[in-house]
Amino acid sequence: MIFNPEVIIEKLPELANGLLVTILLWVAGIAGGVVLGFLVATARRFGGFVTNAVLGSIVEVLRGTPFLIQIFLLYYGGPFVGLMLDPIPCGLIGLMVYSAACYSEIFRAGFGAVPAGHVEAAGCLGMTRLQTIRRIQIPEMAVIVLPPAVNLSVILLKESAVLSIITVPELTATVSAIGSQQYAYLEAIFILAVVYWVLVELTDRIGRLAEYRLSRLRFSKA
Amino acid sequence: MTFKIFTLLLQAAVSTIGISLVSIAIGFVIAILLSAANLSGKAIYSAPARVFVSFFRGVPLLVQLLLIYTLLPAIGLNVPSIVAAIVGLSLCTAAYQAENLRGGFASVPKGLIEAAEVTGLSPRQTFFRIRVPIALRLTLPALVNEAIMILKSSSLVSVVGIIELTKMAQDLASSTYLPIPIFLSAGLIYLVICSVIALIGRYAERRLARTSI
Amino acid sequence: MLKRHFLKAAVSAALLIGTAFSAHAADDALARIKAAGVMKVGTETAFAPFDFIDAGEHTGLNVDFFAELGKDLGVKIEWVELPWDGVFPALEAGKFDFVAGPATITKARLERFKMTAPIAEATVAILKKAGDTSITKPEDIAGKAVGSGKATSQFAQLQEYSATLPTKVTAREYVSFNDAYADLAAGRIVAVANSLPNIAFVAKQRKGAFEVVTPAFGKKSYFGFIGKKDADSASLVDYVNSEVIKMKKDGRLAKMQEKWFGTTFDTPDEVKEPTF
Repeated sequence: MIFNPEVIIEKLPELANGLLVTILLWVAGIAGGVVLGFLVATARRFGGFVTNAVLGSIVEVLRGTPFLIQIFLLYYGGPFVGLMLDPIPCGLIGLMVYSAACYSEIFRAGFGAVPAGHVEAAGCLGMTRLQTIRRIQIPEMAVIVLPPAVNLSVILLKESAVLSIITVPELTATVSAIGSQQYAYLEAIFILAVVYWVLVELTDRIGRLAEYRLSRLRFSKA
Repeated sequence: MTFKIFTLLLQAAVSTIGISLVSIAIGFVIAILLSAANLSGKAIYSAPARVFVSFFRGVPLLVQLLLIYTLLPAIGLNVPSIVAAIVGLSLCTAAYQAENLRGGFASVPKGLIEAAEVTGLSPRQTFFRIRVPIALRLTLPALVNEAIMILKSSSLVSVVGIIELTKMAQDLASSTYLPIPIFLSAGLIYLVICSVIALIGRYAERRLARTSI
Repeated sequence: MLKRHFLKAAVSAALLIGTAFSAHAADDALARIKAAGVMKVGTETAFAPFDFIDAGEHTGLNVDFFAELGKDLGVKIEWVELPWDGVFPALEAGKFDFVAGPATITKARLERFKMTAPIAEATVAILKKAGDTSITKPEDIAGKAVGSGKATSQFAQLQEYSATLPTKVTAREYVSFNDAYADLAAGRIVAVANSLPNIAFVAKQRKGAFEVVTPAFGKKSYFGFIGKKDADSASLVDYVNSEVIKMKKDGRLAKMQEKWFGTTFDTPDEVKEPTF
């Protein structure tokens, strides 16, 4: 196998397009997932026994089955129950729901890690429950939640490659198609390795920076 | 026929479980070694460990498997499918487990380590008898999560010629052309396995919490 | 002590010469296969009726063909099952000696690989939902959504054909043909373009769900097995090729086609100029 960089240069526009699709779906997917996941975690904590049990089972099912199978059933099985989605919306919804389930568990652990005394103290000071969540629990949770949330985001970036089975033209699908059309396997493996690695490293750096700033904020005197 | 299909899926699930368990165990040993390298404070050990973690977390598992299976022969290492699958999964999970353990080791109270040193334990003894058990206890939930992740990711080993649960589902779907019920069944089997892992994890956590620090 | 060292050296020298000789005796792919008594064949098992899993057993025309070939050559056949994407890189990496597949014989493939004489026709046709009266002939797909396999020659043929229609088709590429069939059932596409033997098998397996639209629309093309182009594989490719022709002459190939396709194909002994 010989490495031929010309293949990469020739197909740069296609590659850029695939990269763009991957990044957009990933960012939108995790943004939606974080918001939805937080809502789920909050509802489970404060919504009573039934809400907790129902949401808890949904989360277990989503976390206990491969994303590939979920997305396959949503896209190819959906139309049989009246849910006909186009590839990109289907991929986005699938990614959001799956990541929401995973993020919600991180937030749940975060809620659990905020000392009960802090919450009680806020109550004594006359804060409402919403105020307590917003001003005490979220800031305190942020420090605990950030490292696993960044880790999960990295995993989701790589999971997004699964969307190729529902014909989403994301990076992995684009690269492997070029690889097999041009018999450029080595080049394909090389591009995939480098691009994902760079994206993951960048995400980690941003995560560490945020961690650093948050921890300063938390322990600052103001 | 339906019964036959379900039996075949269950048989394939056995490969999925076997490969995942072996990889998690090997990955755990490597992760401990990586942690030791990180904590050594010597750059000759910690720098390669950092690059290792960065590479195996950053590069998709699919690509790692292809590298091991189709590119290693170019340098004379023609590994069989099962070896490629287990090596790929083990190295990948080692990187993630090392990251989890990093947090756990950071949370081991300094006083305990000092106390161990004062009582005359060697650095190695301190590492294996004090730091590892405590870090492990602190990161057990993360380890259980990682086990579930690897179980689900193990579907990727079909790219090196291993037939596991997802691949079997795809194969069965492609001869019966009934993908929806087959994928539903496969999903159900994954769910049961993951739930069992989660239950064992919760049990272990409770046991460990009782013998707490 | 010295004696033992000498003995060791002598033994290893003898071993070295021995391996050199045996390497000489088995210095190409075919000779190595004969010496090992095993031929490794790579394939994808999601390509019925050539290679697929039926009731847990790997079966299909390829399995029958290579079993016959193994009998003739006196070796065991060992299958390596990979996703189609991974089959050619693995062939080049030396994971197996030959690729079953089969693949459509195209100009681009002949530049890179050696292909055997045809084992079946690969001409592309249309699969539709059973009872869909809006498609009765191939040109009825004009302006509609049609699926095919990503980066396949069947997809290339679909696009070529689409360009000749009054309104182009919306061509959708799927990672595997099986996903395309699933989407045909789901209703996002109205047809799947794939080679006749494959879709004929789909229609037979799922009577009442899918139907083949005749005639085939693509240019006449053929399926062949694939080997490496290097000198090391030359005699092996020649051997597999001669087996295809032998089985064609003695009627074994026709019997296999009848068994797996329900019909036989008239195939040439050699494809000199692929149609595309």
